[in-house]
Amino acid sequence: MVQKHFTVKNAQGFHMRPATNFATAMAAHPCSVIIRFNGKEVNAKSPMLIMAACIKVGSEIDVVCDGEGENEALAAAAAMIESGFGE
Amino acid sequence: MIKGTAASDGIGIGRILLLEETALVYTPHTVDDPAAEVERFRRAVDALVEETTRDAAALRRTAGEKEALIMEGHISLINDPALKGETENLIMGGQCAEAAYETMCDMFIGIFSSMEDEMMRQRAADVRDIKAGLLRILLGVKDVKVSDAPKGTVLLTKELTPSVTAGIKKGNIVGIITETGGKTSHSAILARALEIPAVLSVPNATGILKNDQPVIVDGSAGLVIPDPSFDELAHYTDKRERFLKERAELEKFRGRRTKGADGAEYELVCNIGKPDDAEKVIEFDGEGVGLFRTEFLFMDRSSVPTEEEQFAAYQKAALVLKGKPLIIRTLDIGGDKEIPYMGLEKEENPFMGFRAIRYCLKKKDLFRTQLRAILRASAFGDIKIMFPLITCVEELREAKAIIEDIKKELALLGIPFDRNIDVGIMVETAAAAALADVLAKEAAFFSIGTNDLTGYTMACDRGNANVAYLYSALQPAVLRMIERTIRCGREAGIPVGMCGEAAANAKLIPLLISFGLTEFSVSAPSVLRVRKCISRWSKEEADRVAEKAMTLSTEKEVSEYLESVI
Repeated sequence: MVQKHFTVKNAQGFHMRPATNFATAMAAHPCSVIIRFNGKEVNAKSPMLIMAACIKVGSEIDVVCDGEGENEALAAAAAMIESGFGE
Repeated sequence: MIKGTAASDGIGIGRILLLEETALVYTPHTVDDPAAEVERFRRAVDALVEETTRDAAALRRTAGEKEALIMEGHISLINDPALKGETENLIMGGQCAEAAYETMCDMFIGIFSSMEDEMMRQRAADVRDIKAGLLRILLGVKDVKVSDAPKGTVLLTKELTPSVTAGIKKGNIVGIITETGGKTSHSAILARALEIPAVLSVPNATGILKNDQPVIVDGSAGLVIPDPSFDELAHYTDKRERFLKERAELEKFRGRRTKGADGAEYELVCNIGKPDDAEKVIEFDGEGVGLFRTEFLFMDRSSVPTEEEQFAAYQKAALVLKGKPLIIRTLDIGGDKEIPYMGLEKEENPFMGFRAIRYCLKKKDLFRTQLRAILRASAFGDIKIMFPLITCVEELREAKAIIEDIKKELALLGIPFDRNIDVGIMVETAAAAALADVLAKEAAFFSIGTNDLTGYTMACDRGNANVAYLYSALQPAVLRMIERTIRCGREAGIPVGMCGEAAANAKLIPLLISFGLTEFSVSAPSVLRVRKCISRWSKEEADRVAEKAMTLSTEKEVSEYLESVI
């Protein structure tokens, strides 16, 4: 299991487009991907659950990857979140 | 006559097509063969994905790329592993596919509807849309085909969903009426993208209005007129002709440079308040941004935005504008606004008090953070910095010294930024206008803020009904302030713009051209109208009007004279 802490910095947080792009990217990895936020665990392969978590700019989150290809998945997650989803 | 929200300009005259929500009735039951039911559910999901893909392609042709992307977003929601997986779990527990899917969708609709964020609340509409779509397929119910609607159809529906919109043929649908949605709702954006007049939020419209009823939709005034009289028909037919003529006339100015009748060129840019608004600038054909208010970044939150957050916002606007100029105004905030974490005290006289540049020069950390974020963003576009409420040279010097200091820091760290970034000022106080000759030597540009300049010059609060009559940019005193500011800028060889409401005022435009204004910054929807206004004035003709106007003694005389020449 690998994990990393992030502060969400794109102005819109995880709204429709970032949530969808993020979930689609994570779905391509065989390992499980979870976002820990506000004491909750969210399946990061589901855009609906990500949006329902209401993650905004400035939110503190942990991304946890577990299983086959976990390092690649975490690196891909970090690249997307840290670039602010190219916004 | 029924009143609603004016959401998309224009007049539509036609007959109503009521899009009733097709009754999606089923009896929840337990299934004997859950595995087969899961298969039935999966086939319906595949069919809906296929249908939605087709709708997105149709929408791309009629309403544009952005709308198509939203429709394509539906596909990710339909395919959502949590939604699908949980539905299948319920089916495996014995529920029928319809009941299982409805339960899961309603759960998400509930979550999204209760969110504070307007954008997220709209996701509830998306989920309702896909829920109806999937139930329709499962139940084998045929959809009312909007695409078969005859010419002269006014669509009446509770909510304009993207899947309904995808079926709209522009030539046939002449108006839209809905029960929900405001000016910024998705229905409104879609209607505007299709250029179809729309009145939204008409309470109980689907109850009051009937299928096939003759109706007039006035999307500019937000009125719906069922069973119009002969006189009403004549009046609105005429109004529609005028509207269409004017729109066609304005459309001719799209994609053109802003030029006077003599070929002199001007810059026509926009005022924006959020990075997202930069997209509107492009949509309405603005040539850049003359005023990006940064206050929004600081409001509705509990702490000062970080440098990273600010950088992301400024960078986003710069990237959307793709090299077009972007003037960012540093924080303009004071005792008249409630921002708890900023420690602003209630003041007796907030407009004369501790605000804007005065506040920033005292709160150096906050100011430096903002300037650093702007400088970093300047590597991504043509960004300029503008200080608000300057009244004396010392303020400008001190603020510029801070910028130079941050530039050194960034250079040392090897962080890219525009080394030659222009630093200018708002001229919005009587002091700055009086001192314009001196300030012009140290500012790279001026931008006249007519709203505050009028208030400060006339010593009048436009919100106070007893003195509001004094508040006009056409007051001879205000005109003299404007004329002097532009002249001093011109003599010093720096560009002078205007970012108040007056820049879009047809009466004032000839005077501004005569005085030598080089940049007009207006709200995005005004761009084409102002470009057209400017196009009819040569410098020579504007000079004649200005010469006469400046001899007049009262606001009333000035206003009446200018009215007579435009």
